[in-house]
Amino acid sequence: MEQLLNGVALGALLMVLSSGLAMIYGLRGVANFAHGALYMLGAYLAYTVTERIGFGLALLVVPIALALVGVVLELVFFRPLQHRSHIELGLVTFGLAMMGERLVTLIWGEGTLRVLPPEFLQGTTSILGSDYPTYRLAIIVIALVMAAVLVLLLRFTTIGLHIRSASQDIETAAIMGIDANRVSLIVVSVGSALAGLAGTLAAPYISLNPGMGDVFLITSLIVVVVGGVGSIAGAMVAGMGVGIIQTIGAVYLPSFAVLLPYVLLVVVLLWRPQGLAGRKV
Amino acid sequence: MKTKIAIAMAVLLSLFVSACGSATSGSKSGGGSGETIKIAVVSPTSGSLAKTGTDAANAWKTAARLYNEKGGVLGRKIELIQKDTDGDPSTTLQGVREAVTKGGAKFVGGVMTSPENAAVSAQAKGLGVVAMNAIGKDDVLRGKQCSPNQINVVQSNSMSFKAIEQALKDMPGQKWAIQAVDFSTGHSASEKFTEAIKASGKEVVLQQYAPQGTTDFGPYITNIKNSGADAMLAVVYGSDREVLVQQMQQFNLGSQVKTVVGSDTFVESLFPVMGDGIIGYYNNVGYDVNADNAMNKEFVQAFIADHGNQPEFIPADNYLAAQLLFGAIEKAGSTDTDKVLAALKGMKMDTIDGEVSIRPEDNQVLRNMYVGRVVKKNDKLAYEIISTTGPEVSTPQANPDCVMS
Repeated sequence: MEQLLNGVALGALLMVLSSGLAMIYGLRGVANFAHGALYMLGAYLAYTVTERIGFGLALLVVPIALALVGVVLELVFFRPLQHRSHIELGLVTFGLAMMGERLVTLIWGEGTLRVLPPEFLQGTTSILGSDYPTYRLAIIVIALVMAAVLVLLLRFTTIGLHIRSASQDIETAAIMGIDANRVSLIVVSVGSALAGLAGTLAAPYISLNPGMGDVFLITSLIVVVVGGVGSIAGAMVAGMGVGIIQTIGAVYLPSFAVLLPYVLLVVVLLWRPQGLAGRKV
Repeated sequence: MKTKIAIAMAVLLSLFVSACGSATSGSKSGGGSGETIKIAVVSPTSGSLAKTGTDAANAWKTAARLYNEKGGVLGRKIELIQKDTDGDPSTTLQGVREAVTKGGAKFVGGVMTSPENAAVSAQAKGLGVVAMNAIGKDDVLRGKQCSPNQINVVQSNSMSFKAIEQALKDMPGQKWAIQAVDFSTGHSASEKFTEAIKASGKEVVLQQYAPQGTTDFGPYITNIKNSGADAMLAVVYGSDREVLVQQMQQFNLGSQVKTVVGSDTFVESLFPVMGDGIIGYYNNVGYDVNADNAMNKEFVQAFIADHGNQPEFIPADNYLAAQLLFGAIEKAGSTDTDKVLAALKGMKMDTIDGEVSIRPEDNQVLRNMYVGRVVKKNDKLAYEIISTTGPEVSTPQANPDCVMS
């Protein structure tokens, strides 16, 4: 039971991180290699906000700050370079990620930092006979709430409709009168805000170091491809699946656990090349 | 518009390239005129080993500054050629090769993990360099993978565990779990510790290995809880150490596991991040920052002045490596690597760690080993040394697999 909860907690974190990456990929077609750096920046900002004001406010302030970073990303890089090849844009985001890592090192140093959750989330809670860390349960709840809000936003609002249509075919959506630039700005901002939220949630879960974005970036990219490129729901399901598989693998196949996400990627691509929830091409 | 974008990208790329260049280019710490003594310092400055890598490089910088201020070695200034690595043996080896073939370095220091040191050890003779291993603890570096051109300044895992073994009988706990890093040092440490545990009449109920860079120790901690262990050994490095401690506290592992022993895991520089939860934890201590000798006091003072923090074992062992190397160059009267190696063999010298000697059979530096327990003193976490083990006990006979040729 406890191991399953470990998998769900890791999956919840991957869900939040990967859904932002999937949103940007779906609309802009950009493999945003800077997403891991945005997540790391979110975690470090959460550290500073928690030190000064408190963790509760960090959950609000950091996603907003990262949304603003997303606005800059869209206006300075993604929009002007939208007609360039994907590999060129991918390289630019890769360069931005490296600069982000350096910037974080210069501001916060290369040592490890620690963020404590609020006192009521510290310690353990008894759940079905197991004492499980309360903070990890909180991550699961927050991720599920986030997933519900995102689904409602996409399914039942006008902007959600515009995002879904632009994600299918941005040019046709523009011809149909949808302001593709506005939609794109919203998507990149929300995607970046989700990276910030993931970083904030991760800060008390793991410790902070400038390399923390790299580990999760690779896993998130796998999640996005397994889920189906551009499918936010697919990324959420795949995120949870990868989290559980990785955790169970660490218990029962420790020597191969690190390879399991890659094995899953290969199996899914062979079985269903468009990913679990992707559209056939 | 396209031209503007192209120009912007070119500027971006050039900034990026120049940033990368500055991270890997040589850094002169000598600055004097005439021929300098060049030392390659190849430590990780990115990834989970970045902090310890920087600590190692900082020790060499302080050593270079102090010796240069006193007129250098043989009247020649020390120049450090710093190369960046991510901790991968092939990257490290490439850095060493560049520093030697392009930079003219004859001596190598700051190399971090045992696999990296093994890679350097295998090439040291061919490259004609003297490599000072101040961090790699794997026994194999003193066995099959030893090299006549590599000096092992740091104590091996066997030596650390001999010291812990001395203190083990007084530590509470019958059922031990071992959580180690999934590379050679972790496996070798786990093996040695299992022997020590069994020798003290206790039992090992779990041995498990996590890859370097693990961000979620949850599954491993749950395994420890399920194993019924009441004591634990942690052999975890880099930023994984803080992650492990943080998550052990999240899972309230302390309510079950009463004794926690670390092998270079609960180190002084991380005490502020690890917090009061580690009070009572044990760890091998290779270096006593409070050692009462003039050299140590000078080093500690200079390191704090240069880098703003108190040195712990990684900088101390690297500084000790520099002391031994510079002492051997003085003794040899030359920077010829063969002459320096000959001077190092069997050398005895006063250092920041008191008098040490180099065993010629495997180039192992013979030093005291300590075991410390984390306590709170004057509102700060610190080690209380609970046992001291001399080299005659902690250092086994040289491994016959080590062939110095």
